[in-house]
Amino acid sequence: MQSAGSGKIVVAHPERKAQRALVRLVGATPLPVELVTDVDALIKAVDGDTIAIVDAGIARANVGLCERPARAWIAVPGEGLAPAEPAGIDALLSAGWSHVIAHPMPILAEELLATVQKLIRGDTFGLEKYMTWGAEIRTYALDDTRAREVAVNLMAKDIIAVGLPDRISSMVSVIADELISNAVYGAPVDESGARFRATEARDASRTLADRDAVTVRWATDGRYLAIEVRDRWGSIDPRAIGAKLAAGKQNAAQSEGMGLPLAYACCNQLVIGVAPSQLTEMIALLDVRHKPTELARGASFHAFIGTVGAP
Amino acid sequence: MKLGRLDVEIAGERLTLTGRIDDASPLGELVSQLPANVVIDTSGVTFVNSIGMREWIRLLRGLRERGTVTLERVADVLITQMNLIPDLGNNVRIASFHAQYACNACGAEVAPLIDAVAHAEQLQRLKAPPMPCPECQGQMELADFPERYLTLFRV
Repeated sequence: MQSAGSGKIVVAHPERKAQRALVRLVGATPLPVELVTDVDALIKAVDGDTIAIVDAGIARANVGLCERPARAWIAVPGEGLAPAEPAGIDALLSAGWSHVIAHPMPILAEELLATVQKLIRGDTFGLEKYMTWGAEIRTYALDDTRAREVAVNLMAKDIIAVGLPDRISSMVSVIADELISNAVYGAPVDESGARFRATEARDASRTLADRDAVTVRWATDGRYLAIEVRDRWGSIDPRAIGAKLAAGKQNAAQSEGMGLPLAYACCNQLVIGVAPSQLTEMIALLDVRHKPTELARGASFHAFIGTVGAP
Repeated sequence: MKLGRLDVEIAGERLTLTGRIDDASPLGELVSQLPANVVIDTSGVTFVNSIGMREWIRLLRGLRERGTVTLERVADVLITQMNLIPDLGNNVRIASFHAQYACNACGAEVAPLIDAVAHAEQLQRLKAPPMPCPECQGQMELADFPERYLTLFRV
């Protein structure tokens, strides 16, 4: 983990207006900000301690950039900060980009700042980072595999009760169900890395305690609704998951391993944090301010590797 | 009949599904109990997860190998997931479906029933027909990107 004071931020964008907007967003962080306009300058400017914020157009034309050493590569909406298109998002995810922001302003600002601050501070986990201060957080601890449906139904009812529309409640039900299923059945691995619960009967009762414990939290602040699911296995490879999500949509006809791609398709931003062998946290965010047509067609994606208890 | 949390009613050529299509709904088992030509009504379906979607695919693939499949009043939760897998539209006739609409005037959000036969030409061009708002009688528009509901209809 890097200390907050080291490194720099490099912003690569060809348009002056977009440069200004991006620099203003990250200019108040503790790190110095350097501006470049093309890929050659970007490559020269970035080192292993750099957070690189890259125009999606430059990123798509140079998808292999993310293989270069950096603290993080973040692709942001391209020309004029218009929303990113799904094909562009998928291309970046397939190439291994860990951070792809899909949405235009003002969501871009909120998402980029949260992402950069998490990276700078090394503080990876918790849905609080996406909520306005004071948002009430509700928690459901699952004590048995059969509690999944109960928790999902309760969450759906609670969401209707706070005044959100059926559309949101319906999507939250699908997202929560898939993320919980992934935590309960997909996350546990044996010493060889085999996912030994993956074929377990879904109607069988099993106590979820100790390492099998799964916690679910959600909150809304009138801008976003965030659903957070944690398991204690930390068994997901965050570098590979983006590519799986992109491939999952293309392979949906097989409908195998469709759970996470379906959750991703239902939200506006999917954030995965992993402390290897300790914790996986998945946060799905739904924008409840804007009409779906005012947002990007595809969802943003972020994958972080962190440490439990940091900073 | 119940399949897990799903109520299943078979009456002649008509299959009506109500409730949750999920891990406990082995829909593929219904193929042998249904006639060659089937009309499926899913307006009462409230939830579909990824395993439920796999079972729905098994059902449709099994049925369309044997005869005609007509989907009526397809639930909003189902039509959006079906549009992730456009192959599901092959050899399946969708007569009507629910879709999320929003009223620009009063902000109401509802899921009216869209007649896919009457609006076939529009739907093929990924155009959702305007619908009247049940609250203020203003004009409602589809509340999402058209491809999330209409990819199945594209020619």
